[in-house]
Amino acid sequence: MMQIADEASLIERVAAGEVAAVRVLFAHYQARVFRFVLRLVGNPAVAEEITNEVFLEAWKGASNYEGSGSVATWILAIAHHRAVSSLRKTREERWNDEQAAALADPSDDPEVGAQKADKKAILRRCINALSPQHKGIIDLVYYHEMSISEVGEILKIPEGTVKTRMFHARKRLAELLRQAGIDRGWP
Amino acid sequence: MNKSTTQDQEGEEIEMLLPWYVTGNLAPADRDRVETYLASQPSAALALDRVRAERQQTVAANEALATPPAHAFATFAGAPPQSRPNIIQRASRSLPTQAVLEFFRRPSPHRVRTAALASAALVIAQAAAIGWLLSLDRPVTYQVASGENVRDGVYALVVFADDARVADIARVLAEFEGSIVDGPKPGGVYKVRLGKEDKPRPDADVLLRRLAERREVVRVVLPSMR
Repeated sequence: MMQIADEASLIERVAAGEVAAVRVLFAHYQARVFRFVLRLVGNPAVAEEITNEVFLEAWKGASNYEGSGSVATWILAIAHHRAVSSLRKTREERWNDEQAAALADPSDDPEVGAQKADKKAILRRCINALSPQHKGIIDLVYYHEMSISEVGEILKIPEGTVKTRMFHARKRLAELLRQAGIDRGWP
Repeated sequence: MNKSTTQDQEGEEIEMLLPWYVTGNLAPADRDRVETYLASQPSAALALDRVRAERQQTVAANEALATPPAHAFATFAGAPPQSRPNIIQRASRSLPTQAVLEFFRRPSPHRVRTAALASAALVIAQAAAIGWLLSLDRPVTYQVASGENVRDGVYALVVFADDARVADIARVLAEFEGSIVDGPKPGGVYKVRLGKEDKPRPDADVLLRRLAERREVVRVVLPSMR
């Protein structure tokens, strides 16, 4: 992912209330934040609202940015916190095993299911059907290309937990794929 | 622990690291460990393919999402950075101002007519006042092209502190003979006029510095054109 050349200076200008700097920050990270939040909350209107809140919080708290991590990590941490709070509030954490099981059409045997759509489409559908917790870490690692320590910083969990959570997310993905008729031979 | 168990454990640990290996985000020591394992276990190439496919479809799923609406920044920047209400909103909590603000917030034909009449009365009163002032034999600071007599002050763009109370802001403004003439603009910025007289640049700078030192009330003070 592209980085801003002098992130610390940009955040200093944001902290000083410079609207042009806020515009740069917003333009650079808005799409990433919006997509990250949307994947967690599943509702574009809510995601847009949370995205605005994230940047307001970043603007307001820019003077507290310590500069130890990247700006992306800092902003995605705010986004994750906001999205999870929203999910808790609205009780929209409705991804459960029953819903995931609905992915597989019981009238299809595995072979017919596999013929209906190619493996890539099924894989994408199964990734989308993961719980917010699992989808969140998968997105952070694969799409936002965060390192183990950065994911830990965003999710506020130790590095060991990052690795096991990603491992479990992938195992769950393998289960969903099996239910959808694709056995990848792992785990 | 036998050899097979050790290999299984190593295989599981490597499987845990593969997602970061594929995205190039592993620490050098872990990266070397993964590469050594992959070289010694040809079957591990399948595991690598699985991770690459997962990554590819995760990126595709994200990229397939709509981008945020074009008006998003305007919506965002239209709100001041404070999570607290701005000064006008805070002031509006007092009952007398509430009624005035409510009047303008919800226009109706009757209210618009009333406002138009009030504006007309105000213009007449203002004209009378200007006429009276012109009739006085006072020195003129300077005269603009329109012929209006202006005895101006020093202008500044100000962002008030998040936790500043209206009463404190009013006190400091009174102390500086200041008044808010515009705002809030995006970013919670207000235009403030200080004093009633023009000042030479050095004196104006001193005045702005003195205001900027009032950290209990202001966060940012910048010089501004009139």
